[in-house]
Amino acid sequence: MDNLGELLHGFSIAVTLPHLALMVIGVLLGILVGVLPGLGAPNGVSLLLPLTFGMQPVSAIILLSSMYWGALFGGSVTSILFNIPGEPSSVATTFDGYPMARDGRPTTALATAFGSAAFGALIGVILITFLASWVAQVALAFGPAEYFAVYFLAFASFVGMGGAAPIKTVVTLAIGFAIAAIGIDTVSGSVRLTMGIDELVKGVNFVVAVMGLFGIGELLVAVEEEFHARAVSSKIEWREVFRAIGRLPRHGVALLRSAAIGCWMGITPGGPTAASFMSYGIARRFSRRGRYFGTGEVEGIISPETADHAAGTSALLPMLSLGIPGSATAAVMMGGLMIWGLNPGPMLFVDQKDFVWGLIASMYVGNIVAVALVLLTVPVFAALMRIPFVIIAPLIVIICVVGAYSVSNSYLDVVMMLGFGIVGYLFKKLFYPLAPLVLAIVIGDKAEDAFRQSMLMSKGSLGIFFANKLVTCLIVAGIALLLLPLVLQLQRLWRKPASAATETTAQETAREKVII
Amino acid sequence: MISRRALELATAVLTGSFGVAVVVSSLDNGIGWSSAGVDAGTFPFLTGIILLLGSLYNLVRGILPATTLANVPIAITPIELRRLAGLFVPAAMFVAAIPLLGMYVASSLYVFAVLAIPKHQSVPRALAMAAATALALYVVFERMFQVSLPHGALASTFGF
Repeated sequence: MDNLGELLHGFSIAVTLPHLALMVIGVLLGILVGVLPGLGAPNGVSLLLPLTFGMQPVSAIILLSSMYWGALFGGSVTSILFNIPGEPSSVATTFDGYPMARDGRPTTALATAFGSAAFGALIGVILITFLASWVAQVALAFGPAEYFAVYFLAFASFVGMGGAAPIKTVVTLAIGFAIAAIGIDTVSGSVRLTMGIDELVKGVNFVVAVMGLFGIGELLVAVEEEFHARAVSSKIEWREVFRAIGRLPRHGVALLRSAAIGCWMGITPGGPTAASFMSYGIARRFSRRGRYFGTGEVEGIISPETADHAAGTSALLPMLSLGIPGSATAAVMMGGLMIWGLNPGPMLFVDQKDFVWGLIASMYVGNIVAVALVLLTVPVFAALMRIPFVIIAPLIVIICVVGAYSVSNSYLDVVMMLGFGIVGYLFKKLFYPLAPLVLAIVIGDKAEDAFRQSMLMSKGSLGIFFANKLVTCLIVAGIALLLLPLVLQLQRLWRKPASAATETTAQETAREKVII
Repeated sequence: MISRRALELATAVLTGSFGVAVVVSSLDNGIGWSSAGVDAGTFPFLTGIILLLGSLYNLVRGILPATTLANVPIAITPIELRRLAGLFVPAAMFVAAIPLLGMYVASSLYVFAVLAIPKHQSVPRALAMAAATALALYVVFERMFQVSLPHGALASTFGF
């Protein structure tokens, strides 16, 4: 049990006073961005990123990941108390969480949500503890062709399983690749795609893109609707907290099933949002009380929350061991890793043991800290929701502007950030998925390098992608995922030629609801 | 009022023209195979082509009287448009003012303007919040994290 020894060493790094303090700060900031509509985990983490440049990588990642946990919890608070999801991934929690809170059981709803969320996160961390170093070991033997195949699979799974319209996903991926290519080409040294603007030689930093896409973009979406924060009582009754958590084991099947869905969606880049919706849908279909869903069912809270957190946590597994982030937030963190001078991927487990195991240990501790803090601070953050949006909005704009500027002290970045804001708004409005865009910006370069290196090795023959079993399997799986939407479409047309049109409409509307 | 269709079309045109720009610009770097391996322009060229084709597909889907778009014919209502402008226009003016006024002056003016002019807050309270914003920025960035924010052309003429 090598892993357990490493994990204990990790705890000795994570459980120190400065790191515990960072966890508390991170979780509190995370709950704050989770509670505020218009700010979420990806932009919260990217706003904090410029401030971590001077820190030790372990401390920085503990701060950022704690913020992530906090944001995941914070999103559920507003979903349950205000029927306003603070995070896209907690939309499904509103379906049963808010009705239960409105019926006078806000404590039960919150405690059930937090308890199952903590369970989901725990399963995710356990998975990382035992699987991550093994995956990394396998990946150490990878050559450029295998790497390209894994990247290809990741991109293809967005198209095949992402839930958004496939061609829109392809478009956002291509935009991401093009943005990643701007600046100096790492292989040949030539300048690419600057379109006559000299300052673009340094490339487009992904932090600038993320701040615009998620920060300004989400703000513009949020400002359209006026928020009516009609809160139910946010008083916490402590006895009921323990009673609700004590009742959780009765729903063991739902917990385990949702955790499994979450872990799967987190490792393949489906992301927490898709995971929570999928888990809710499956729970409604299989639960004996399925027809009561939507009126405040316990399992209607357990399923999305467990899957949400399991996915959020396990999204860090491929980021650590392969260098491929499983969610938008993980992509931002991975960008941070590269800025701190670390090389995400299997070598981390060899060169940076302290970093990896410190982070994994901090996930255990951080989630406990998050549960405790979120329960303690519910009334405070509920009160925060009553601050008018008109005051919060300009502050978020200023944070985004300052954040974009401080990445590389460039005014052009600020202007680009605003431009990305418009793009983010349009894309959100029209259901173009943003996560693949961020992913492509962060790892587009690496995918291209892997492709070109394998081409060099094979002297220009694509045969290298079918040279051994592993790489062939990955590429074939990727192609299958790319073609999946097409096959489904054809099958639908084949089965019901007459009613096909109406059916697609219904399905597409349902799908668009899911990816909001 | 902006219809869903118009918005879809505009976005497809936007992404498509980015695709064209990428394709044209990557041709300068050379596409294809040379002695050094795959040329630098090849990968961007391919993504540009994919981007262009995808945008064309979205464009055609937007033009066709597709049933899918009929569900939500209106994307942005006039009230929503006004709210959007109310947020975005001041933000753009704030960004435009930074080179001249510097981050501190521009951000406090921005906070004051968006709070006091639509009468969301009384003038003294808006003033206090504007001052607090500038002060917080100064303390966090210039002092704690040693990040120098732009002081602006105006400040440099006064010798800051």
